[in-house]
Amino acid sequence: MEFSELQRQSSTIAHGYHGAQQLMRLQSKSVVSNQNGPQFNWGSPPSEGGEEGDVGPPKDLRERPMTMRLKRAIREVQQMRVPVVTSWQSWKRSKAKSLSRFRADAGGVMSYVALWRKALHKIGGHFGGGVQSYFMFLRFLVVLNFLSFLLIAGFILIPSIVFRSTSTSNMTVDSTGPEVCKVYDPNLQGLVVFYQYFLDLLSGTGFMEYSYMFYGYYNNTVAESSGFHYNLPLAYLLTSVFYFTFCLICIVARMGSALRVAVATGSGAAGSYSKMVFTGWDYGCQGDRATKLKQKSIHYQLQVDLEEERLQKKALSLTLGQTVGLCSLHIFLMLVSLALIGGAFFGIFKATVFSQAQVGAEGILGLFWVYLPSIVITTGNFVVPFMCDQIALFERYSPSTTIIMALFRSVFLRMISLGVLLFTLWSQITCFKDSPKCELCQYNNKEYPCWETRVGQEMYKLALFDFLITIAMLFLVEFPRRLVVDHYSCALTRWVGRQEFLVPPNVLGLVYGQTVVWTGALFCPLLPLINTLKFFILFYCKKVTLFSNCRPAVKTFRSTTSTIFFLVVLLFGWGLALVAMIYSLAQIHPSMSCGPFRSLTMMWSIVPNTFDTLSLTTQDFIFYMGSQAFSIPLFIFSCVVLCYVAALAAVYGKSVDLLKAQLKLEGRDKQFLVKQIEELSREMGVPTRDQLDTFDTGAAN
Amino acid sequence: MGNKQTIFTDEQFEAYQDCTFFTRKEILQLHGRFHELAPHLVPLDYTNQPDVRLPLALIVSMPELKENPFRHRIVEVFSEDGQGNMSFNDFVDMFSALCETAPRELKTIYAFKIYDFNVDNFLCKEDLEKTLNRLTKGELTPEEVNLVCSKAMEEADLDGDSKLSFSDFENMISKAPDFLSTFHLRI
Repeated sequence: MEFSELQRQSSTIAHGYHGAQQLMRLQSKSVVSNQNGPQFNWGSPPSEGGEEGDVGPPKDLRERPMTMRLKRAIREVQQMRVPVVTSWQSWKRSKAKSLSRFRADAGGVMSYVALWRKALHKIGGHFGGGVQSYFMFLRFLVVLNFLSFLLIAGFILIPSIVFRSTSTSNMTVDSTGPEVCKVYDPNLQGLVVFYQYFLDLLSGTGFMEYSYMFYGYYNNTVAESSGFHYNLPLAYLLTSVFYFTFCLICIVARMGSALRVAVATGSGAAGSYSKMVFTGWDYGCQGDRATKLKQKSIHYQLQVDLEEERLQKKALSLTLGQTVGLCSLHIFLMLVSLALIGGAFFGIFKATVFSQAQVGAEGILGLFWVYLPSIVITTGNFVVPFMCDQIALFERYSPSTTIIMALFRSVFLRMISLGVLLFTLWSQITCFKDSPKCELCQYNNKEYPCWETRVGQEMYKLALFDFLITIAMLFLVEFPRRLVVDHYSCALTRWVGRQEFLVPPNVLGLVYGQTVVWTGALFCPLLPLINTLKFFILFYCKKVTLFSNCRPAVKTFRSTTSTIFFLVVLLFGWGLALVAMIYSLAQIHPSMSCGPFRSLTMMWSIVPNTFDTLSLTTQDFIFYMGSQAFSIPLFIFSCVVLCYVAALAAVYGKSVDLLKAQLKLEGRDKQFLVKQIEELSREMGVPTRDQLDTFDTGAAN
Repeated sequence: MGNKQTIFTDEQFEAYQDCTFFTRKEILQLHGRFHELAPHLVPLDYTNQPDVRLPLALIVSMPELKENPFRHRIVEVFSEDGQGNMSFNDFVDMFSALCETAPRELKTIYAFKIYDFNVDNFLCKEDLEKTLNRLTKGELTPEEVNLVCSKAMEEADLDGDSKLSFSDFENMISKAPDFLSTFHLRI
């Protein structure tokens, strides 16, 4: 009969959505009431079920959406059942279980050792994922700097200390060249004024200059004693190169996991409303204040999304004249902001030139001249983004575009200002314009007898000033602001309000600090250690200010995309530092009066020199690696692998689209068939699904 | 606080460790929290599996749940009788499903159950509206609520029946990268 056919069809469709039915008898009555509609059968297990004895260790039980009572009952049934397995398999299974138990316990212990775990937990609960990702980034940088310091200490610092203390069996090669170039007197005075030490600490001169801190102290010793051969200049160079590679690997590895999640879940633009509604609430939110803020931020986010839609609709409906006007406004304001940034760069250039000319000035004024580039950079980093924000108010972009533009401007400003500083220094050292000064020693030996130390000092000053300014801001601006806002309430304080913890500017500060360290590590080997301490103290300071002075930002930053953004900006900084390092290694003549490379015309030439001393077979092997017979097949092979992976990705994307379309079609088919059944049953006078429903629920109650 | 031996038998520990994502220490910690909620009702000795159920009002007074807008639904979903009276088994089950190591599929199933206010195994427009109102504490105007709900429904409803079945919901959640980190109760 036609009707029973249709009924069977509909029940097969319905059952097609159910899993295996073996454990139905263990269901409690409240679970599945309505058999006809398509639904997820809460009762049936997601995998093949507990019947087979040798598959599914009890671990599967945890992932089933059943009540605990049911799970324990199933577990008892599983244990009581005599497994038809060999003793080898049961031994294997018990070992696997104890291994996973051991791993869980070890994980528990390891999480105690993880740095700042509880603090991050608390921050995440009170201020959300965006702020927590800033602190996790800070923790990553602390660990990275500490590991780099261990690297440098192991290969440069400790051998240097050892060789200095046992100075008999070393040989130092003296440099060839004019005598005047080899003069370097790092100002070791006997009796100094008491505050001179403090000034020296802040500017890296005096007692700090000729110490392990800076490049100039290291000798180009090649230690040879009873079969042990250690070439310090080579070690210095290779450690620096390896330090950069190590940092790159760490950053890329960390980015990999975040990118995988981001790529798998696709672009965030589509489906944002449904995601907002269902995944917007952070269940880990604790505390009354945090909850209210979270609600406000969800409210704000929804309003922003609705606003963006309105703007988009309006943009589509603009006339030609209005579009032209809007475009010209955008271009004009872009030029204005670029002019502001260019003005900041010019200021930095002038300040650096002036500061380098004032070497030797005494006292507090001398300190001020010495710190002038850092002061100008920091002032620029405050003033220019503020003015760009004011300009952005006129630009009338959509809210998300405004945020992205502001971020890019800040990144551009910070990185390029550091680049301008470096460029100025380099032009002074190698005198681009003024040739007579550099004719003798190929570098400006009058003003820079040991130019690497001077560059190291400059980077040290930048790092230190950055740290001091952050601490000063904390004590002189943020704490007083909170005190004022909390105790006096007038219109002004209410408008200003409490400090908001803005994640992007703080992250840019961290990236700037790290870039300075990377640039300076070649010239100031202890800089990673200083940076570790600086970031370590910064963590606690920022945590204190977060909890006492700040209110969470209403405009939140998404935590997954933000990790990727932070690491990308960090890579920019790394690239800038890499360019600086390559230029120093390959272009500038090392100082003849100090440092491990004093006898060479180029820092990199230590490598070919050592290369010549290797055995012939090693030389041949390395030549072979670089020759065409090896590198071309390698290149072709990598191209093949790349094409394969790209093709695989394309195929997966296509199959995902196909499956989505199929899902839609099946849904429509199902609806059509169900309608057919209802029509037919109405025609035949058989009770419909809704009538059956009321009967069911009536019987159950 | 008794020592391990007097609260649970080893066999009970094994059962809990197999059925949840917790270690022994965490199970004991959870028992401590459960006991704290009603010290005169909850016995310290669970070796003979007493059947003690705490009412909904007590459970939602926990600091982790107090401010959560969905706290009533969460407790109702994880309680056996559907009314919010939780035994210790249900209590552990709730925190296990919402912990860090629970897999995405399990969390999606429970999220669906939590947001399904009228318990009809579908997320209809009323369910969405209730969810949204609890999220924003009624700060949005009714037109905005309506607009957001229709947009959300449009985006997620794949088979076009103007309500979200579990497969629609699952598909939408799979594209949300933050789901695992936000749908997570810290204890």
